[in-house]
Amino acid sequence: MSEDIVNNTLMENSPDQDVICDIQNVCTEFGDNIVHHNLNLKVKRGDIFALVGRSGCGKTTLLRHIIGLTKPISGNVLLFGQNLHAMERVAQRRLMNRFGVLFQQGALFSALSVFDNIAFPLRELKQFDESVIYQLVMHKLALVELEPRNADLLPAEISGGMVKRVGLARALALEPELLVLDEPTAGLDPDRSHNFIDLVKQLKKALGLTVLFVTHDMDTLASLAERVAVLEDKHIIADCSLQELAGIDHPFVINFFQSIRSRLERL
Amino acid sequence: MAAANFRVAQDDQGRRHVQLFGQWSLRAPSNDFAKLKKLLEPFFFDTFTKWDLNEIEQLDAAGASTLLSGWGNKLNANISLRPEQAELFNTLIGLTRPPSKKIDRDWLSPLNALGKGVLHLLHHFTEFIHLLILLLLEISYLFRRPQDFPWREFSANVYKSGVNALPVTALLGFMIGVVMGYLMSRQLHSFGADIYIVNILGLSIIRELGPVLMAVLVAGRSGSAMTAQIGVMRVTDEIDALTTMGISRTLRVVLPKVLGLTFVAPLLVLWTSGWTLVGGAFASNLELGISFRFFFDYLPLVVQPINLTLSLFKGLMFGFVVALVACHFGLRIKPNTESLSNSTTSSVVTAISGVILVNAWFAILTRGIGV
Repeated sequence: MSEDIVNNTLMENSPDQDVICDIQNVCTEFGDNIVHHNLNLKVKRGDIFALVGRSGCGKTTLLRHIIGLTKPISGNVLLFGQNLHAMERVAQRRLMNRFGVLFQQGALFSALSVFDNIAFPLRELKQFDESVIYQLVMHKLALVELEPRNADLLPAEISGGMVKRVGLARALALEPELLVLDEPTAGLDPDRSHNFIDLVKQLKKALGLTVLFVTHDMDTLASLAERVAVLEDKHIIADCSLQELAGIDHPFVINFFQSIRSRLERL
Repeated sequence: MAAANFRVAQDDQGRRHVQLFGQWSLRAPSNDFAKLKKLLEPFFFDTFTKWDLNEIEQLDAAGASTLLSGWGNKLNANISLRPEQAELFNTLIGLTRPPSKKIDRDWLSPLNALGKGVLHLLHHFTEFIHLLILLLLEISYLFRRPQDFPWREFSANVYKSGVNALPVTALLGFMIGVVMGYLMSRQLHSFGADIYIVNILGLSIIRELGPVLMAVLVAGRSGSAMTAQIGVMRVTDEIDALTTMGISRTLRVVLPKVLGLTFVAPLLVLWTSGWTLVGGAFASNLELGISFRFFFDYLPLVVQPINLTLSLFKGLMFGFVVALVACHFGLRIKPNTESLSNSTTSSVVTAISGVILVNAWFAILTRGIGV
């Protein structure tokens, strides 16, 4: 039912309420190197959407365009129907609070404790007093299955798996609708990455999230993604479910599908 | 967009009913929970108020926690809610409470802090000596295997902290020379002792100002850069990577920096002192009409050459101190941004204080020479 409400709230400012992220004719160049050429992509609400492609094909660049860190040379990136770069500051900030990002290395503030890292976005809102913030941080810690006693540790003192969880808790602090993950399982052992994927799936269901992620790891892809977009040769060459990849005739996709087929069969 | 809101009704017994509706969630961007809490405050205090949450479209942890803090962190019979809302509230209530902070007044705390400070200083001191000995050991090792000398790093450091510092030291030296020359000319002129401008400027600049000015500039410029560089190398595990390749970090990281700066510092002293003298000569020319030719012909006659030797030796020591202090603080950096900034600050402050201390000590030792 929560999704219906979210949809209602969006009707006012979005022509197509089901599309959370709309990338239109995006071109990116670094010097002579053309990374994206007239690239189009739509991410629908409620999907777990994976962006894949070979190393250096511009996945992370596209992700950075989506979350507003960089701006394409031409074309539009619309988030929730709005262009992040063409808004005034307050509205831009509000829009940015509607998505949460987990960076590859966690990007925790190294001078702040785990608690303060998660409390940071909540404190910035300046709407809650400390007791409420404490409760909310503890709630987020419980969501990502961390113990309250970990709250006082510094990022340098916790393991890689925990850094990811804390990063996830921080990304979820403002109850975002869209969760963006950059290589969510990079640097985790198979067991932990499996747990982490389960956690993301569970949170997606519980909080009604849309998840967009980039990965190199076939296990992560096969077990997490519901839809997949393949970025190859400056374009999106496939945008479909994992199973439908079998029907696409492109050397990269054929290769790619072979390596995930066995994993899909195992599931 | 259905923002969080409420309406109040009163029943026949005079009890107030607060009906909450809308989206009590951070997802509705127009919500301001601080304002809502303030508006609800009178109802929170009134224990007879009935609360009705059934019409809330969406309730998240933030909204629930705000309400809960108003209710004293517990639910009571006056609150009517849906089962899934009750579940959320119970989850929040079940979370650990913040530890109550007890303020213990400790009268001994200043003494405690002093003791900690002394121990901290002692720790710094032993580590500094440790680094110094390691460096000496590496140098003695290099005497046995001269082919291991890191020439490339050495020359890179000479270039970075020496050659790149030429413009800024020249500019600052010249400007300070002009200011000093101008002020002193005015004073000396009133005594009719114009000619002594050469003595005063020559001795003070060559013996004291040149080396100290150079050291302060280099500590701020190169010392901080060295600390930050070593610090980031520690943060990114590059120092450990070096060690696993069997390369001593002292030999590869510390030694070229220390030797490079020690080597180039006397030359920088010459350069800085030279420009400061030019500035002084320029000012005395304008103020007193002393020609450049006369100034520099007369200079060696009134300032004994031993002062130049002292000045070069000081430069040597200052360069060594600045680089060693910078490396010492760099190697202590912990992998977080706060430590990086603290250590860089400490590095520059300690290096400049150290240089001034060494200068004072040296001035006492050489008080009978050259004046």
